[in-house]
Amino acid sequence: MKIVAVTACPTGIAHTYMAAEQLEKAARRLGHQIKVETQGAMGIENELSAEDINGAELVILAADITVQKRERFENLKTIEVGVQEAIKNPAALFSRPAG
Amino acid sequence: MKKPLFKIRQYLLSGVSYAIPFVACGGILIAVAIAFAPMGPGGPDFSHSPFLKLILDIGSSAFSLLVPVLAGYIAFGMADRPALVPGFVGGAIANQVGAGFLGGLAAGLLAGLVVMLIKKVKVPFYFKPVMPILVIPVIATLVVGFIMFRVIGQPIHDLMAWLSSWLAVMGTGNRVILAAVLGAMIAFDMGGPVNKVAFFFGAAMIKEGNFAPMGACAAAICVPPLGLGLATVLGRRLWNQQDREAGYASLAMGMIGITEGAIPFAAADPLRVIPTIMFGSMIAAVIAMLGGVGDHAPHGGPIVLPVVDNRLVYILAITAGALAVALLINGLRKLTGSKT
Repeated sequence: MKIVAVTACPTGIAHTYMAAEQLEKAARRLGHQIKVETQGAMGIENELSAEDINGAELVILAADITVQKRERFENLKTIEVGVQEAIKNPAALFSRPAG
Repeated sequence: MKKPLFKIRQYLLSGVSYAIPFVACGGILIAVAIAFAPMGPGGPDFSHSPFLKLILDIGSSAFSLLVPVLAGYIAFGMADRPALVPGFVGGAIANQVGAGFLGGLAAGLLAGLVVMLIKKVKVPFYFKPVMPILVIPVIATLVVGFIMFRVIGQPIHDLMAWLSSWLAVMGTGNRVILAAVLGAMIAFDMGGPVNKVAFFFGAAMIKEGNFAPMGACAAAICVPPLGLGLATVLGRRLWNQQDREAGYASLAMGMIGITEGAIPFAAADPLRVIPTIMFGSMIAAVIAMLGGVGDHAPHGGPIVLPVVDNRLVYILAITAGALAVALLINGLRKLTGSKT
């Protein structure tokens, strides 16, 4: 499955990157293709391009704050959770119904 | 996950996330300037050190932007760009009428809400381009400005003024309670909205010439990161490699008064970590309050030691709080397993 994700926490120095790492690890283990954009204190890093988003079967927004440039994901299947859920149990997010 | 509470929390934290660098930058510059200035009878004396005065002024400028930035980005998080203007202006008014941090929170939420509502209005196609840069900001700013100036600004200001006069005449028992509450709030969400309420309360009292509440906050601020970092050093076997690395970072952040350093631990194990650090911060705050610790800068942790009154008690308060956290959390992990 092709997945794109965005992670963002309030301080933007720890959780944002921990969540990104967990998502990447879990995806690799389960054989999914994933790219994770981080919106931390340094701003947007590893930004998702239109090409990345085009054809993604699942969008994961793991954020405790408002996600920037959200309009990019309109009409795609999107899962919205807090950052901690992505850190604790990233694999469960891949098979969750949208919401 | 679309629950309203989750959403409101997300909005508030969005604002906080943009405001944090302003707090850190302004707070540290102010602390540095005050630290190197000679202490006069009425506080630090800048008459012979124009350069330090300059640093103080730069820091104060950064700090004064805090409430507008907070309000502006709460509104931005809610309703995107058109909400920036009413949010910032609402925050600036909160500063102006002395409604401070609480006023800023209110202004930001209000601005976001107003813009959300205006956005729902259907307008003719040819009218659309002028909505985001002209119509929405002007109308929303008028509404928010009016409410801030005429409706909620004054009551929030009065509340702050009442609090400070109440503090001035408070007895020992009440002071202990106040310190305990401030300490618990500081640790509860580690730099989040609850923490910032306590912090801004302390900072506002500095302006009123009462340095004790900030003294209690300053001691409480660094206890969670220092205590948890210390725990990973004292009980190495109870923590995994990742925790121990986070522990060093946490110690460093504790030294410079950044409570957020504790977040990785609290996120992994909130049920045990959060009560523990609240307890530790309460101890530190109460000791600081009873020992007459005063802090002249709106910042906490060992880094502000030079601008603190009763330094020995301050060090004692921080040490006691951090030790309490470290021993308690390691004890809990031993008893109930070190898995998170």
